[in-house]
Amino acid sequence: MTPRNQILLIPKIENGFVIDHITAGLGIQVMALIGRRPELEEAVVTLGLNYKSTRMGRKDMIKLQADLLPSRLMQMLALVSPGVTIKHIKNFEVIEKVVVQVPELFDNLARCINPNCITHAEPHVSTRFKRLESGSKYFKCAHCERVCTLTELVEHLKG
Amino acid sequence: MKKDLISIDDLTLEQIMEYLDLAARVESIPDAEKASLLPGKLLATLFFEPSTRTRLSFEAAMCRLGGRVIGFSEAANSSTSKGESFSDTIRTVEQYADLIAVRHPKEGTARLASEIASVPILNAGDGSNQHPTQTLLDLYTIRKFFGKVAGLKIALVGDLKYSRTIHSLCHALLMFDQVSIRLVSPDSLRLPSYLMKAAAGTTTTFEEVDSLEEAIAQSDLVYMTRIQKERFPDLVDYEKVKNVYCLDAAMLADVPEPFKVLHPLPRVNEISPDVDATPYAGYFEQARNGMIMRQALILDLLDARPEPRSTI
Repeated sequence: MTPRNQILLIPKIENGFVIDHITAGLGIQVMALIGRRPELEEAVVTLGLNYKSTRMGRKDMIKLQADLLPSRLMQMLALVSPGVTIKHIKNFEVIEKVVVQVPELFDNLARCINPNCITHAEPHVSTRFKRLESGSKYFKCAHCERVCTLTELVEHLKG
Repeated sequence: MKKDLISIDDLTLEQIMEYLDLAARVESIPDAEKASLLPGKLLATLFFEPSTRTRLSFEAAMCRLGGRVIGFSEAANSSTSKGESFSDTIRTVEQYADLIAVRHPKEGTARLASEIASVPILNAGDGSNQHPTQTLLDLYTIRKFFGKVAGLKIALVGDLKYSRTIHSLCHALLMFDQVSIRLVSPDSLRLPSYLMKAAAGTTTTFEEVDSLEEAIAQSDLVYMTRIQKERFPDLVDYEKVKNVYCLDAAMLADVPEPFKVLHPLPRVNEISPDVDATPYAGYFEQARNGMIMRQALILDLLDARPEPRSTI
């Protein structure tokens, strides 16, 4: 594939954000997160699925024509597809690039997987999950202490 | 900063040992002197699910320290039955009391209470999660009987799946050196795998054994638990396992000294009354130790620890 063809497949945007290196197959889930953000109601969004990637084999990509990327969306991206690259575009140029990783602790992004956790009965309470220890794939609910995986938490993301 | 006691996981081994030492100190204080330690202080016992023993133990502990107690013993007697949220109940009660002991059928309630209240919170049991005061009294009892906790061989018997007492105790035992834990339970009530995995990287070991007899022969103490009918969604499953382990005096005929049988109580059929008269029955003393440990915790959380007594 020539660079020229690439340009045809993935048109550049003048201003906005490119969410790149989304794990192949998760692009639609990320689109759903974007769709939930009222701040992005007017944004033009382009979804690309299953592009070839030298680093990942295959990847999904989203281009978002918006002035701001809500921080809550960035936090959720970190959970749904850790390692995504977010490029901030101005006048067709990348002015900032960040790689988003799963935080050690996150607030109020997901519901607890334990249906008997008090946070379900008191929905105004912010949930909190903390990684069990550095490098662990397990997270613990700060309230009921139930231990779960990131995948389980992603299935319980809040709005 | 105010102190709470929510989870054994919040404590270091050093803090646990300090609590055991404090309880020993409290136990040595004469009753008359103890009764003047907390005049004018008020404990609220908020029991959203019934538990006669734990509630009475907290209340006896506070009264014997010279304090007073308010509270309720089931959710039906609280404003929750009128639709009040748990958070609002805590915000209201903290206006009245100097500290709050809370038991609730949902996990995480004590932690939430500690985030809301400006007064200390004692977790008296949250769903199937934690029961830290029970764990501390268990450790205190074990240390009193054996002079140590590290290095002991301990059999845990019965409902290892739903029992928060067992879960909390396991978390604590993982902190001590070279504790060997034998697990005896029906297949449907085995210890959760995440607890078994937690032993990795510690010197504590878990081993599942087939029979109560085998566990007795290999252990210094047996910790019996009740098969909890209220935790079974299907009562047919409960009927299958309710009497699966029954310890009687004859089974203890050849145990080496010292040997102890502990139980958080109440018991149903899992310990025969003929064990009561043997020197191995430790469960009623364990109940008494519960009151002493809760006195120590109340004193600590209210920042009213008694000074070590002079030996001169």
